[in-house]
Amino acid sequence: MRALVIGAGAVGARAIRQLVESPEVDEVLVVDDDPVRQAAIVETSGPKASAGTEHAAADAVLLATPCGMHGALAAHHVGEGRSVVSTSDSIEDVRALLDLDAEARARKRSVVAGASFSPGYSCVLARHAVARFDTVSEVHVARSGTGGPACARQHHTALTGQALDWREGGWQRRAAGSGRELCWFPDPIGGADCYRAELPDALLLVPAFPGVERVTARLAATRRDRLSAHLPMLRKPHPEGLVGAVRVEVRGWRQGRSDVIVLGALDRPAVAAGATAALALRWAASGRWPVGAAGLGVVPEPVRFLTELVEVGIKAAMFEGGA
Amino acid sequence: MALFRRALVALGLAGLIAAVLRLRGSGGTPPQHGGWRELSGSDLS
Repeated sequence: MRALVIGAGAVGARAIRQLVESPEVDEVLVVDDDPVRQAAIVETSGPKASAGTEHAAADAVLLATPCGMHGALAAHHVGEGRSVVSTSDSIEDVRALLDLDAEARARKRSVVAGASFSPGYSCVLARHAVARFDTVSEVHVARSGTGGPACARQHHTALTGQALDWREGGWQRRAAGSGRELCWFPDPIGGADCYRAELPDALLLVPAFPGVERVTARLAATRRDRLSAHLPMLRKPHPEGLVGAVRVEVRGWRQGRSDVIVLGALDRPAVAAGATAALALRWAASGRWPVGAAGLGVVPEPVRFLTELVEVGIKAAMFEGGA
Repeated sequence: MALFRRALVALGLAGLIAAVLRLRGSGGTPPQHGGWRELSGSDLS
């Protein structure tokens, strides 16, 4: 299998590392705007990695560039008959990727949108939890932490604008930065105030779970984050954020009773996002992913997907207890 | 006197902003018992 990875930042570099270590991948073409970084990644990733171009031929394409360019790149590659996996967590990018559904189906290819830590890994956790219910009524996602600088900028931007929630069968826009809720993440992060934000999680989860009544997504933020969200970033983001976490709360009915399952994960967001994206790419390229455009909530075998991620060190957890 | 009034206005504004930030949203209650455990075995079947 020949993989094309566009964007070799914190997430892209981790995905490349996962791909070159996979026996089913023969070649990884690396593309980055920064020629120095591109050369460094190629040099340190072993004999399978080589420099490529944005429109190079491949069996599957991973888009790990900063948000904003994914729709156009995906349209080109799907048009060429390639499956595409995108790590973007921008609503505009995700909409553009989901709009490629008809073309992807016609060409019998997959477009995997939001293949990151959250959305992405969180969508797989949601799918895993949903399988335990007879009927699912609510899915609530929260995340803490950022990956590389592009992710930190997106976090900053997401706290302004409009959050997109699914409520009682309709879309509802609410101000980002509102709706404070204390969410309990796996230790050592623990409790963190989370707020509505301009996140695409609901766009990806609602089609995956027909009949769901409420889907929301929140972002952990400090009051300083919220105050400064409307200003330009006051200082350059760190090369990579510290440890982050995701939390997925699924509510529904099973065996005639209402119940709640809370799943989560703790990791460096860029590492978990890279591993998730690389695995989704391998599944999409080998025909193990449904054709069409969707998020990771449609993962056909969530247990197997999670198990394969455990093998590379990405582990999920379940919260047991209550208020 | 003008300086004193400005200081009062600044303090009032800061308090107002802090109150809005503090009060928006429902907050929540931390879990009183239980905790996180890694998924394994029967959880992944």
